Amino acid sequence: MGLPVSQILLVTGFLLILIGIWGILAHRNILRIIIGFSLIDTGIHVVMVATGYVTGGTAPIIDAALGKADAAANAVDPIPSALVVTAIVIGFSVTAIMLSFAIRLYDAKKTLDIDAITDSKW
Amino acid sequence: MVEALVQPLNIFLFGLGGSFLIPLLYRIASPLPSLAFVLALGGIALVSGACLWTVFHGQPMLESFTAGSTPPYSINLRVGPWEGVCAFSVNIVALLAAWHMWDRLRQSYAALLLFLLLVMGVNGMVMTRDLFNLFVFLEIVSIATYGLLGFDGTPAALAAGLEYILATVLASAFFLLGTTLLYHVTGTLNIDDMIAHRGLIAGPIGTTALFLVLSCLIVELKPFPANGWGLDVYDSASSGVAALVSGAVSAGVFFALFKLLPLFDSYLALIAVSGGATFLFSNLAGLRQSNAQRILGYSSIAQMGLMTLALALMRQLGADAAMPLVVGGLFVNHLLAKAGLFFLAGAVNRPQVDGWTAIAGRPLILVIFAVLLVAIAGLPPFPGFWSKWELVMRAAMAGQYAWIAVILAGSLFEIAYMFRWFKQATRAEPEQVAVRISPARMFPAGMCALLLFVSGYLAADLSGATSLWLWAPLGAAALLFLFDWLPGRVKSLSMLVLVLLIGIWIVSPVEGINRLFAVLLLSGGLVVASASFYRTDPRSGYYPLITLLLLSIAALLRAKTSLEFFFTWEMITLSSYFLIALAHRAHDHALPFLLFSIASAFCLLAGFAMAAATNGTLDLAAFAAAGKDAWPAFVMLAVGFLIKAGAVGVHVWLPGAYAEADDDLSALLSAVVSKVAMFGLFLVTYLAIRSEIGLDMAHLMGWIGLLTTLVGAAMALQQADMKRMLAYSSMSQLGYIVTAIALMSHLGWVTAFYLIANHLMVKGILFLAAAGVILRTGTRLLDENGGLVRSMPFTFAAVATALISMSGLPPLAGFGGKWLLLSAMVEKGWYGLAAIAVLATFVGFLYMFRLAYTVFLGERKAEFATVREAPLALLLPQYVLIIAILALSFFPKPFMEPISAAIDPAFAATLVWDGMSLETIYGYWNPIPVMAITVAIAAVLFGIVWLRYIYGYRRVPTTGVAVFYAFYQPALSKLVRPVAIGLWRGVSELTLGVAGSVRKLYTGNGQTYCLYVLWYVIAIHVVGTLMDLL
Repeated sequence: MGLPVSQILLVTGFLLILIGIWGILAHRNILRIIIGFSLIDTGIHVVMVATGYVTGGTAPIIDAALGKADAAANAVDPIPSALVVTAIVIGFSVTAIMLSFAIRLYDAKKTLDIDAITDSKW
Repeated sequence: MVEALVQPLNIFLFGLGGSFLIPLLYRIASPLPSLAFVLALGGIALVSGACLWTVFHGQPMLESFTAGSTPPYSINLRVGPWEGVCAFSVNIVALLAAWHMWDRLRQSYAALLLFLLLVMGVNGMVMTRDLFNLFVFLEIVSIATYGLLGFDGTPAALAAGLEYILATVLASAFFLLGTTLLYHVTGTLNIDDMIAHRGLIAGPIGTTALFLVLSCLIVELKPFPANGWGLDVYDSASSGVAALVSGAVSAGVFFALFKLLPLFDSYLALIAVSGGATFLFSNLAGLRQSNAQRILGYSSIAQMGLMTLALALMRQLGADAAMPLVVGGLFVNHLLAKAGLFFLAGAVNRPQVDGWTAIAGRPLILVIFAVLLVAIAGLPPFPGFWSKWELVMRAAMAGQYAWIAVILAGSLFEIAYMFRWFKQATRAEPEQVAVRISPARMFPAGMCALLLFVSGYLAADLSGATSLWLWAPLGAAALLFLFDWLPGRVKSLSMLVLVLLIGIWIVSPVEGINRLFAVLLLSGGLVVASASFYRTDPRSGYYPLITLLLLSIAALLRAKTSLEFFFTWEMITLSSYFLIALAHRAHDHALPFLLFSIASAFCLLAGFAMAAATNGTLDLAAFAAAGKDAWPAFVMLAVGFLIKAGAVGVHVWLPGAYAEADDDLSALLSAVVSKVAMFGLFLVTYLAIRSEIGLDMAHLMGWIGLLTTLVGAAMALQQADMKRMLAYSSMSQLGYIVTAIALMSHLGWVTAFYLIANHLMVKGILFLAAAGVILRTGTRLLDENGGLVRSMPFTFAAVATALISMSGLPPLAGFGGKWLLLSAMVEKGWYGLAAIAVLATFVGFLYMFRLAYTVFLGERKAEFATVREAPLALLLPQYVLIIAILALSFFPKPFMEPISAAIDPAFAATLVWDGMSLETIYGYWNPIPVMAITVAIAAVLFGIVWLRYIYGYRRVPTTGVAVFYAFYQPALSKLVRPVAIGLWRGVSELTLGVAGSVRKLYTGNGQTYCLYVLWYVIAIHVVGTLMDLL
């Protein structure tokens, strides 16, 4: 009945990505831009998980309940989930670095307005 | 132990192990982290070196598997030839970068750690065969880069760092999404599997995924116009970090593109356009830069574009065999040259290029700087030269002429801004304090320069151009350079001995018309160059360059293939440029000389490429048998040689360069070096012989030649400065030769050779005489000299002889030459040209007479009463040349016969030849009636001019010759408006204007740059989808 959870997730994920992009382009405050990036990241993570989902599938743990033979058909693909874990870690560190740049820029310029930070050009 | 070294996984052991140890060691004792860093980085370099060695000695492919299973269930690493070369060269540059940044690095263990992670990440990107693993390494490299960027505390660096982060994080987010979707459609993350199942990547999800991955890689390579964030980082980061970003990080991304290229086979045109546009527009915008690191930034981005273009193009054309030379060569060339330039920029530490005058008095720094610039410009003998040659040849064979135009235009822009920077560095200012740089600071840049020579030789080996005679000029110059501390005259003598011995050895197997040129140019070059004895100062760098110049001319005459020809041609160009640049007065004229020479060389390159495409071989001998379709190649080659000959319209570089070079160098340039272009014309006219259009073109060339003669003569008459007059006179005389070659007849060619020999001797004498006068009186202005005949009788006698011979007065050689030329033109029915030739000869006589009269006759100025005769070192070469003139004049037959014999077989093989026999030619060579006629015509012309002067002036005629000229100069000045200078100034202003508008794209706003990146990604999707549909 209804939509499979993977489709709901896909829609949500891509929506989050779009909101993130909108955030990056629409806001002038660096912190908000960083939040936009986090949203894109989260959206991608959601999409990743959703692509591995098999409707009606079970956890990919091969034991008495799930034989090796039907693991491919009945279990959720574990690889995207594994990739997401790595991606989350990377996303976390990138966000941390962006925030630290924001802090140091604020120290140097006393502003977080991205339009005010155009030192080199042309 | 040795086996452990050839395990690629150990690179990560060193990288990660070192990174984890460093914070720990920091707690224990402060020097330990540095030690661990050095060991780890050295270990990485050692392992990659060992892997490279193994790959080329026995085991062509090293595979490492992980996690106890095989791909696709686990990640695998691969080191083949490509990976080995890329990883090893990046690691070497990383070692040099660490040396360069050492003072900063060792202050912070975090910086050490980040540096190590960055290098390891790039190695990972190069070696991994797993797509997601590639993403992880990309992120490791990126995060380490962000961290290093944060260490430069300046606000500008932080702002640029943030822009960089925003753009690359956006790009890598697309990569992640694309990777996931690719996994979704193919069920594998292994790159080889994916390539094997390329067919599965279809439908909306598959293609979108592909576009996402492709967009990320292209954006990370900083495509135009979505690359402002990269520029700002190059501009504001510390030089070491900028070198890493430009060399190592870009290398990793480029290698990822290379690795994934089979997936993008349907979009190669798109990738090529992206790369080509980036190359062209970045170099264009680079023209407006004045900040050293920003210049390097524009150049870095452009070079990555060129590599991308080359990669896509070679793949598209199925030229996988040429990939190592083209792509590998460009890669290594850029890596070493750009890193070296960033290191040098850091060591010199002058942000604005006009501050680089600080290195003007430092020869070693200048040499390193010059080597790096020549390499980045793609000039010989460095790898970029061989790569560009091969790239252009391959493009021409596939008929991709638009790409050739893009590559050559972009390269010309790049050379323009790079060498404008060099111009600043050579501008010595009196009050300037020269910068002091310790040898240790110079080491990384110096190493890069050295490695460039090594890799240049390796690339030449791939091109099959490693003959000893081809490299002997460079070797001899290098040898002399090592002894540059010796006194000037010792160096002069060793230069002459080296050129004589090696030159004779080089030209010994040369045959036919080349042999004639070889004998003439080598002996003429030696005689004129021996005048350098008159200078006693050390002339740092002068003698090695003269050696290179003269020996390269010899090697040019031995060239059998167009590649060898072009290589030596460029060596001649470069050595002349650096020689001119050595003279302080010539400072403003060296750059135009270089740019026009390079433009000429690029025309030749295009022409040779077209010729190779039609002939199917690089052999120059094939020119003689070229078919009817060869005429476009002829046009390009002729244009190239005409630019170098200073034909009218493109002559603007000539007077300044010839006039302002050192006095004895001017003699060499005008007498000997200019003849190389004439030789080139001889060579290529074969191409035109077989086609009707070609013969029409030759007629056009004849007109260009005589217009050059006339305009040159008119300009020479305007000059107040004797060297400028002689320079224009050279231009004028070369015009005759061009016309003679254009006649394309036996008589024409014999004449051309005769004129070449005559001009070589005459201009050698005149410039050397001028050198003597300038040495003794200290002024180059005609009117400031006067009455020197009593003080300098020998110089006067030499000038008078040269004058008679050059103006075509009987009985000396010039007369014979002119007469032969007129006969040949009449024989061909070119009566209009013959009339112009007579007129030009007359104007030529006017200005030559003026030179002799104002300097030597006329009133003697009081201050010149004590002037002595010119030194023997200057007189001796002049009199040797006079003897040659006399021999040529009175015994022409022994000279003409070998000339005729050398030309005859060439024509006999290709043309039905209905010219006259030699005896008939000599029939014209009957001096007595000829002399009478000529003297009569000259007298009539002179009478007309004199009458016009009397009536025009409406005054009693005064006998003052100076007044006579004062009347005629304004009259003729109407003929010589500076049209050409105006034209070229306009072209340059237009280019700079466009460059100025292009760079306005780069607002410096990180958010705008994000928008550009998004637009770029969307554009790739749209264009890619359209390509799929069509």
